[in-house]
Amino acid sequence: MTRALVSATLVTLCIVALQLSILSSLRFAGVVVMLVWLWPLAMGLAGFTVLAVWSALVAGVFFDTHAVTPFGLTAAVGMLLAYGASRLGKEGVGDLDSAAWWVAPVLAAGGGFVAPALYVVGAFVTLHFSLWRGSTLAMMVVNALAFLVLARPVSRLARVVGNFGVRVRR
Amino acid sequence: MATDRTRRRTWAIAVAVTALLSVLYFSGGVVSGLRSAANLVVNPFSWTVNVVARPIGHLFAGIVNYSDVVAQNQRLRYQLGQAELRANEGWAIERQLQEITTQLHVPFVGSLPVVAAQVTALSPTNFAATIDISKGRDDGVLVGMPVVANGGLVGRVIATTPRGATVRLISDVNSAIGVTFGTGQTSLVVDGRGVNNGLGATAVPLSTALKPGTVLTTDGLRGGLFPPGLPVATVANVSLTPGAATYNVSLHPTADLRRITYLDVILWEPST
Repeated sequence: MTRALVSATLVTLCIVALQLSILSSLRFAGVVVMLVWLWPLAMGLAGFTVLAVWSALVAGVFFDTHAVTPFGLTAAVGMLLAYGASRLGKEGVGDLDSAAWWVAPVLAAGGGFVAPALYVVGAFVTLHFSLWRGSTLAMMVVNALAFLVLARPVSRLARVVGNFGVRVRR
Repeated sequence: MATDRTRRRTWAIAVAVTALLSVLYFSGGVVSGLRSAANLVVNPFSWTVNVVARPIGHLFAGIVNYSDVVAQNQRLRYQLGQAELRANEGWAIERQLQEITTQLHVPFVGSLPVVAAQVTALSPTNFAATIDISKGRDDGVLVGMPVVANGGLVGRVIATTPRGATVRLISDVNSAIGVTFGTGQTSLVVDGRGVNNGLGATAVPLSTALKPGTVLTTDGLRGGLFPPGLPVATVANVSLTPGAATYNVSLHPTADLRRITYLDVILWEPST
């Protein structure tokens, strides 16, 4: 478990670096693809609940330290996605081998679609009432499409990282 | 049983983390320290990713955009020539204006010192329109100072480090700027509409003589956040919803906010 946690943390930091260095300037229709949300979601779909929630926390906290948006909100949304996905992952719904090939991408796309909306709702809860004025719908659509495309390769990586520990607890 | 234990542990972690985040959230000083520490951790990873990915990105961008770059370079040379011409013609007018504004005890933007800086990073998130710049407290950049580029107001410094600063762009949803136009009789508030939506003005009274093409500049009211006379936006469209008591005004930022590479921080503080 410890080995898996360490490897998940290191990969998560790389994902955050990739997000900040590359994806932030590579916008689609003006929207940033949130790999820091896809990664824990994919980890959850692979069935690793603790690793998924931990990855969401690490990715979100480190990402939020680089943004001026409410601190911790990216982490909170990521953790929600990760936990929800891991419930499905536990049932084998998002498994890349046993489920149909399109199931994981479609679930990820759903996650990508609701994540920005969750973020806006979370902003309301933390008394930040102006965030809804951005292009929330565009963010939802672009992230859904990006998650649809990236879900399988990222899920494969998640599975490799999750199984890295000798005695991984699923 | 193991499943129950796992579930309990997951929930315990979630609750603990939420409590931790809440504490951090409501204590700004801790967050500031955490940001610095997090930067230290992430920076080596970012550096590695940059070293590997940036040359590849530049290669592809160069292949795909070469003709665009050449065309843009020619256009910029032309614009530079025009700007030099206007600068040469306008020096006398500027001096006159400076003398008048000095007599009126109004700060003249042209006379204010500036610090040139380079944009180092764009906002990593969809929910905030900010940029990071290469100059910070060591160069005299302080929170609240206005930032100009590409012929207009770009934003305002909201955070500084010794060697960098974060600028909130005027298109950010939390941005609101007092502006005026024409003879300066009417003041409006221009607010940001998000990264992709530019600017807008709400509650514009029907008595306001706005028309497309009107340039709005900072009003510089006493206690305002910006010195007077900085171009902010151009009116793109003025419409009236039947029965409404105010105009709907859509605006284009004067400065092209999508292509900022270098900018000037005006060394002017709101209280001065």
